Amino acid sequence: MKGRKFLSWEMFLLIILILEFVIFGAKNPKFLMPRVLFASVNDFIAICFIALFVTFVMITGGIDIQAASIVGLTSIIIGVGWQDGGMNIWVASILAIVAAAVCGALSGFFIAYCGVQAMVVTLGGSFLYAGFALLVSNFSASEAYQGISGFPDSFKIISKFKLFGVIPSQLLVFIVLIIIAYILLHRTKYGRSIFLVGINQEAAEYSGINTRLVILSTYVLSAVSAALAGIMLTSYLGTAKSDLGANLTLNIITAVVLGGTLSTGGKGSVIGTALAALVIGILRFGLSLCFRVNTQYLDIPVGVLLLVVVIGRAIVSRPETAAFFKKLKKES
Amino acid sequence: MKYIKKLTKAREFSSLLFLIVLFAIVGCININFLAPSSIAACFNDSVVFTLLAVGMAFAIFIGEIDVSVGANLGFTASVVGSLLRDGYNWMFCFAVGILIGAAIGLINGFGVAVLKIPSLIFTLGTNGILRGLIYVYTNGAWVENLPAPFTAFAAKPLLANLTVFYTVTILAVIVIHILLTRTKKGKYFIAVGDNEGGALLVGIPTTRTKITAYVLCGVFAAVASILYASRIGFITAIAGNGYEMKAIAACVIGGISLSGGLGSVIGASIGAVIMSSVSRILVFMGFSSDYDNTITGVMLITIVVLDALMQRNAAERIRRERLKARAANVSGGKGGEQA
Repeated sequence: MKGRKFLSWEMFLLIILILEFVIFGAKNPKFLMPRVLFASVNDFIAICFIALFVTFVMITGGIDIQAASIVGLTSIIIGVGWQDGGMNIWVASILAIVAAAVCGALSGFFIAYCGVQAMVVTLGGSFLYAGFALLVSNFSASEAYQGISGFPDSFKIISKFKLFGVIPSQLLVFIVLIIIAYILLHRTKYGRSIFLVGINQEAAEYSGINTRLVILSTYVLSAVSAALAGIMLTSYLGTAKSDLGANLTLNIITAVVLGGTLSTGGKGSVIGTALAALVIGILRFGLSLCFRVNTQYLDIPVGVLLLVVVIGRAIVSRPETAAFFKKLKKES
Repeated sequence: MKYIKKLTKAREFSSLLFLIVLFAIVGCININFLAPSSIAACFNDSVVFTLLAVGMAFAIFIGEIDVSVGANLGFTASVVGSLLRDGYNWMFCFAVGILIGAAIGLINGFGVAVLKIPSLIFTLGTNGILRGLIYVYTNGAWVENLPAPFTAFAAKPLLANLTVFYTVTILAVIVIHILLTRTKKGKYFIAVGDNEGGALLVGIPTTRTKITAYVLCGVFAAVASILYASRIGFITAIAGNGYEMKAIAACVIGGISLSGGLGSVIGASIGAVIMSSVSRILVFMGFSSDYDNTITGVMLITIVVLDALMQRNAAERIRRERLKARAANVSGGKGGEQA
């Protein structure tokens, strides 16, 4: 029964996604051209990457609002490491991933081992890491607002590569990440323990799971995914900036919640989040291309989407409504 | 003596101590910081954050959060600013602004209290919508040319170097503090945040209290927006961006527990002064104000981690005492039987 319910939610998301394609395609046929469609991926790929692993965090009952600031931090570390530190671009990228993991581990440590609310720590983290990014950018010879550019072609290629000349590398990386996340969450013991921690941390602790380590690890994973998003964006834009991805938070949380993850923890799925991230990404792109909605307005539909989903779910899961549906089913 | 002991035990007292020590340290490094005009500027500049933090405190008292106050401030400031610019009566403009703030609070309160949606997620949604609405309303243009008397009023001093705005605000905060701690209805907020089930059982209307808290939070953001417009003199489309985070940080620094039911509005206003002084302090210590975010983040995390560790220690100590008392009771009881 539970499995079927999950499936139906994901089917529902898939239907929304297809509907989006139909509506936007009918409005402006240009939307369906592979070249245009795949080029749009760059605008929302960061949401997709990060939302996948913020799902892990939210299943444990936490929340991560610092991921967006880690995107900027990794971007500027790559830029400064390469231009002013004289590092190889790949060494700089790995350094950026390690730095992100350390940031995630630091927040995760405070949340898991000191028992501070995830919301406050990641709020502090979003200040702290955005501040770090600004400090790192001060080491650079370039002006902060210009960013650092002129990266070697070998680095730029990771976002310019296209399989069969159409499918962009971003999408390929996204698919790989979905597979990794799916196996990790739904097919391993580690994944089971994440769910168990979200349902009842004490019970998980008594059943021999190192719950604190599990919680800490989810923050490291989400930070690393933010670092990957930062590398991808830096490569695509060709510029390292400290404020990259600064206003992604709303979109990331919306994607995770829309994907069927309970914000109270214990329930969620990678496929749902992946589909929801695509729904949001296509919505943003479609509205701006086909309906000429100013990109600055795009937070309205995303915010409305978030509210409609949570309100709808709250109403459906109410005892009165649940009883009503049961009665309806019995009669039919 | 009893009062002094009670005072030092209060959570906001440590915040006040922190503020004084902080100012003293900065004063040792650069004596100019301690000039009366400079200290007064620290307080005067914090007025917008003080109002936001006091509003936020209501949401946190009941154990929830409101991350839409920044967008609320931006949106209300745009509307009030444009109405003032177009020459409407100022009473009418302020009333419109406060109504908008209250309406936003009502929507948030309804979502959180009635529909029982996690407050962070619901208010994140309203935050996004309001941010977009600011662009729709202003078309991305700045709201400029506010009437001169309105913007000049921000600098008007009342007491020594303190502006009218800050003096009135701080008096209001004290009145609110007395209402919250001395009246029956005022205590509802803390009661609901401390133990919602228990509050319901003793007959407190929890849903109504929660909605009231959100409406108050919205109203305070609206008042803050009017002061913001007056102080800054123009409103950009990104006005108030990230202010919600700073307001939450101010509350936490002011000793308000994010799990609800603990803290005071006085603490929130002290926290707001600390928060808004950071960039000024950096300048006086000869650093670039680029460090602002880093310091804020470090301060926020340090305080909450220390608070959590101290609370854990306190809980452990209470548990031990209880066990000890129980053990003493058991042996005492046995003694009685034998006699």
